[in-house]
Amino acid sequence: MSREKLDQMADRERERQEKFDRRVFCCISTACLSAGAGRTMQALKDGLEASQSGDKVEVVQTGCMGLCSRGPLVRVRENTGEETYYADVTTELAEELIAKYVPLSEPKAGDEALAPEIIETRSRLEAARRKRTLKKHILSQNLPFFTKQVKVVLRDVGYVDPEKLEDYLAHGGYQALYKAITEMTPEEVCDEMSRSGLRGRGGAGFPTGTKWTFVRKAESDIKYVVVNGDEGDPGAYMDRTMMEDNPHQVLEGMMIAAYAVGAYHGFFYIRGEYPIAIDRIRRAIRAARRAGILGDSILGSDFNFNADVRIGAGAFVCGEETALIHSIEGKRGMPRMRPPYPATSGLWGKPTVINNVETMASVPAILLNGADWYAKIGTDQSKGTKVFALAGQLTNTGLIEVPMGISLREIVYEMGDNVPGDAEFKAAQTGGPSGGCIPMSHVDTPVDYERLKELGSIMGSGGLVIIDSTTSMPQFARFFMDFCVDESCGKCVPCRVGTVQIRALLDKLLEGRGQVGDLERLEEVCEIVKSTSLCGLGQSAPNPVLSTLQFFREEYEILLPS
Amino acid sequence: MAKKQSSNGKGQSKAPHPSGDERYKVIDRTMKRFKYEKDALLEVLHATQETFGFLSDDLLIYISNHLQVPLSQVYGVATFYHLFTFEPLGKHNCIICTGTACHVKGSASIAEAISQKFNVPIGKTTEDGLLSLTTARCLGSCGLAPVTVLDGEVHGKATDESTIERVERVLANEVKV
Amino acid sequence: MITLTIDGKKIQIEEGTNVLEAALRNGIDIPHLCYHSDLSVSGGCRLCQVEVEGYDQPVTSCGMACAEGLVIQTQSERLTAIRRNLIDIFLADHPLDCVTCDKAGSCLLQKYAYEYGVKETSYIPIYSKTLYQDDNPFFIRDHQYCILCGRCVRVCDEIVGVHAIDFANRGFESHIATPYDGPMIDSSCVFCGNCVEVCPTAALLPVSRLKRGREWDLERVDSICGYCGVGCKIEYAVKDNEIIYAQASVQESVNGSFLCTKGRYGWDFAVNPERLTQPMVRRDLAYSLGISTENWRLPKVSPLDIDKPDVDDYFIPVDWETAYEIVSSKLVDIVKESGPDAIVGLASARCTNEENYLFQKLMRAVIGTNNVDHCARL
Repeated sequence: MSREKLDQMADRERERQEKFDRRVFCCISTACLSAGAGRTMQALKDGLEASQSGDKVEVVQTGCMGLCSRGPLVRVRENTGEETYYADVTTELAEELIAKYVPLSEPKAGDEALAPEIIETRSRLEAARRKRTLKKHILSQNLPFFTKQVKVVLRDVGYVDPEKLEDYLAHGGYQALYKAITEMTPEEVCDEMSRSGLRGRGGAGFPTGTKWTFVRKAESDIKYVVVNGDEGDPGAYMDRTMMEDNPHQVLEGMMIAAYAVGAYHGFFYIRGEYPIAIDRIRRAIRAARRAGILGDSILGSDFNFNADVRIGAGAFVCGEETALIHSIEGKRGMPRMRPPYPATSGLWGKPTVINNVETMASVPAILLNGADWYAKIGTDQSKGTKVFALAGQLTNTGLIEVPMGISLREIVYEMGDNVPGDAEFKAAQTGGPSGGCIPMSHVDTPVDYERLKELGSIMGSGGLVIIDSTTSMPQFARFFMDFCVDESCGKCVPCRVGTVQIRALLDKLLEGRGQVGDLERLEEVCEIVKSTSLCGLGQSAPNPVLSTLQFFREEYEILLPS
Repeated sequence: MAKKQSSNGKGQSKAPHPSGDERYKVIDRTMKRFKYEKDALLEVLHATQETFGFLSDDLLIYISNHLQVPLSQVYGVATFYHLFTFEPLGKHNCIICTGTACHVKGSASIAEAISQKFNVPIGKTTEDGLLSLTTARCLGSCGLAPVTVLDGEVHGKATDESTIERVERVLANEVKV
Repeated sequence: MITLTIDGKKIQIEEGTNVLEAALRNGIDIPHLCYHSDLSVSGGCRLCQVEVEGYDQPVTSCGMACAEGLVIQTQSERLTAIRRNLIDIFLADHPLDCVTCDKAGSCLLQKYAYEYGVKETSYIPIYSKTLYQDDNPFFIRDHQYCILCGRCVRVCDEIVGVHAIDFANRGFESHIATPYDGPMIDSSCVFCGNCVEVCPTAALLPVSRLKRGREWDLERVDSICGYCGVGCKIEYAVKDNEIIYAQASVQESVNGSFLCTKGRYGWDFAVNPERLTQPMVRRDLAYSLGISTENWRLPKVSPLDIDKPDVDDYFIPVDWETAYEIVSSKLVDIVKESGPDAIVGLASARCTNEENYLFQKLMRAVIGTNNVDHCARL
C-alpha cells in the first residue's frame, strides 16, 4: 500500500469519527471485564440502539483507562475535546449515561414496529433520565492519579479501538514506520534509539539502541525480531495491556526494529494465559497484512517483513531470552549460557533482537517526536517513561505511566491515594519474584534502574505491589520463594536445589523451629544461589528474601528463640 | 464410523484417524499449517490441549509420529509447561489467581475455602468429575485482586463467601439436570 | 591456532575450543560434572568456573571460547569456596551412601567431594527423586543418585541418535524419563549403554556389576572388542578372572568414548565353558594321522540328534603347529587333486577387518580361487 492510501484510510476514519457529537468509550480490558464491563458495554450498545441516535453518538470499546480498581470505566468525549470519566459503571448507570448523553430520537418513518424489548429499553431510558446518581460516579481528571502521568507508551490506549486498524491510523499510526523506511537509514534508526536513551523495559535495562546496533552489524542473511510478551511477573500486566489495547503500536515498533537491524521475519512470543492479547495481536497482524503494511514492499518501499505469533505455555523462565528462543523452537524452555548472546546467535542460530513489549511500544513515539524529546523525560541514566501496574493494598490501583525518576512517595501517597483503612504503607515490591521490597524509609527514592538496584531490588518489567502493615514480610518472602521453586527450570543445581533449601529454611523459621544462626545461614544460601546460578531467574530468585532480610530483619528475628 | 475420505488429489490423502475421532483433524490442520516442522511442537500441543482438554498418551504418540519428534522429547516438552494437563478437567473449573496482588489480598484463603467446602484438593478434580480447582500465576487483573475465574467468567474483588456461593450456584444447576 | 595461558602454562589450541576442553587436553583438571568432551555444552553443574584476567566475576569455562591472550586461573580461594558450596548443594539432593555404593571409587561427585573436603552436606537433605527402575537386563536406573547433569540425554540424542530419554517435568521435580516413565523396553532405547558410560554417579549402572565389587576391587584389562570386525577398543573390568562389565577405552580409538550394545553387553561368550580356546582334530582323523592311538569311528547317530553332544567325545585338542600342518597339507592335496576351485573359504564377521582381508588374500593369492565368502552378519 502506498502512503496516499494509508493517509486516505486515516482521513476517512477521522471524518467518520468527527461526525458524531460525542463518543462514549467503554473499557473492555481484562480488569474491567472482571468487574462486569462486558455487561456495561452491552447495556451501552442496547441503550444506543433503542434511542435510535446511532448517527449522533458512537459507543466504542477501548482498552485500559488506568484506574482499574474503579472499573468498569467509561469516558465520554465531546466533539469539542471535553472529556468526562465515570467509574464503577454498572448496567443501570450505563442506561442513565445513555439517557443523559444520547437524545431519544423518534423512530424513523416506516419503522414503527419497534421490537418489544426496544420499546421496553426506551421506557427504561425515559425513567433513567430523571435519576441523578451518575454525578457521584464522575472521576475527576484532577486526581494526582491522572495528573502525575506522562503518557508516551499508553498515549492512545483507552482511545483507540484495538480491533480497528483504521482507528490506529487515525491516531497517527504507522507514521513512524513510514518515516523510518522512507527518510532514515537503518543506521540512523539505531542511532536515534541510542540517543533517546531508551533501555530495555523487560527489567534488565540494556540500552535498546546498542542492542539493535549489535544485530544490525552482525553478518547474516537471516535475522529475526522477537517481541517478548511472556509477562510472567505476578502482579504485572503492562505488556498484556499494550498487546490487548493497542496491538498495532507494538507491531509498528517491531517493524521499525526489523527495518533497523535488517530482519525479514519476527515473532510475538505471548504468554498462554493471555488469550485476548493473543487474539488481538493476531487480528492486528492480519489487518496489517491485508492493508499492505505487513508483507512484501511495505508502504511502497523495498522493505519486506512478516510476523507470526508463538504462544507460551505457562513457564515463567521463558521470559529469559535464551529460554524464550528454545520455546519458540518447540523445545523445553531451558536457558543456556551466554555468550553467545542472541544478538549474534539467537533463534535458529541467527542474530536476533529480543525486546520487551513496552520497549517496542515506545519506539514509534521516539521516532516521531525525536530522540531529544524522549531524552528530556526521566533522569540522567534512565530516560523516558515507565509503565507500572500499581497493585496491592492501595486505594487506587491500576495502570500508570510515569516519568523515570518519580519518587515512590508520589506514586504511593499521591497517585495511589495511600493505603486504605487503618493500616499503613509498609513496603513497595518491585520487579516481582526477581525484585525486592523497598521500605517506608526509602520512600523518597527516585524510581530508576540504578537506584532500585542499589536497594537490592530491580526495575523489573513494571509490577509495583504495595504492602501494608498487616503483611508479614517473612511470609511474603516465602510466597516468592514458592514461586521460584515452582518456576525454576531445573537445569542448574544452585537454582534447582538452592531455592528449595531457601524455602525450607523459611518454613523452619515460620513454623517456630528457628535456631540461632538461621538468618546468617539464610543469607549465606541466598548469596550462593545468587552468585552461582546460570540464568537471571536463579541469580535474582533470592532477591525477595535478601531485601526483606535487609530492611525488615526484626520480623525475622522475632521468629528466633530469644 | 467415519467413512474413508476421498483423495485430495495430491496422492497423499490423510485418512481420518482410525478411531474416527474428528478432533484429530484439528491437530492435522495445525501440523499442516507449520509444514510438519519439528519446531511447531509447542503450537501443536497447544492446539491439542485446546481441542481435547488434556494430553493423553495416544495424542502424544500421534504427534510424535507425525512431527517425527522422539516421544520422549514430546513428553519432556509437554511436562515442562504447566498449561498442559494430562488428565481431563472437571465439568466446571474454578481458577484462583495466586499472583502477588491477589496473594496479599487473601487468595490463599479462598483456595483453601473452596478446597475444604467442596472436598477437592488444589490442582485436582472432584471424584464425580464436576469441579476442578486450579490456581494460576497472575491473570493480570491485579487492580481487582483477589480474582477468581469460574468457567471462564472472571470475578474481581472475590471473598471466600462470594466464591463458594458462585461455585454452589453452578453445581446446583448441575444436580437439577 | 590460539595461544592462551592456563595456570601459568602457555597453551596452543585450535580456535573454537572452549576453555575447559583446552585445560583438560593439557592435563589441567577443572572440576566438571555435566561437561563431556564429545557432547554439547550444558553449563548446568556450574563447577567449572574459573578466574579470567580482566573479569570481576568467575566465568563458566565450558561456555567460554578460547581467545588469543586469555589468562586463566583454575584454582583460587574464591573458586574453591564456590566449588565447595556447589558440591555441598549437590549433596543436599544426593544420598551419601558411598560406603555401600557400587560406584564408589569411580563416582565423579565423590571424587570432587573428596578433593574439596566436603564430608557431608550442610543443608537439610531433601531428596527430589526416589524412583528405582530395573526394567531391563542391561542396566538399572536409580534416580535418587541422579544429579541431572543431562549427559545421558545428550549422548542418547547427539551420539546415538535415538533420544529414548529426556528431561521430564521441571525444577526440583525434573528427572530423566522415558515417555510416561515407562519401562526402557517400551521406549526406543537400543540398549547401547552409552548413557551408563557417561553417567558420573550411580544413577545408571550395569546390572552385571551390582554388588560385584567396587573400583578398587576391579582390574582393568584393555582389549579389542571381539564381537565384530570393527575393532573397537574396549576395557573390561575384571575380578577373579571374570568380566564384571565392559566400557569404552578412553584412549585414541576408532570408537572414541562409546560402544555399541553388542560390545558392551555381549561378552558372556568370552567366559563360556563351551568356548573353544585351542584347535581340535576329529578323533578318526587324529588316528589316521597317528596323533591318537584310539581307533575311533564316527558313531551312526549324528551328533545333531544328540541332546547335548560333548565336543570331547568327537575331538581331541592339538597344538597350533599340528593344526596348521594338517590344514596346509590337506589344502595342498586338494589343489593338486582337483584344482584350486574345489576349495571355498568362509570367514567370519567376528574376525577383524584386517583378518578378513588377509583371509581373502590367502584364498586368492595362495590357493588361487575366488571362492571366498563371509557370514557378514552378527
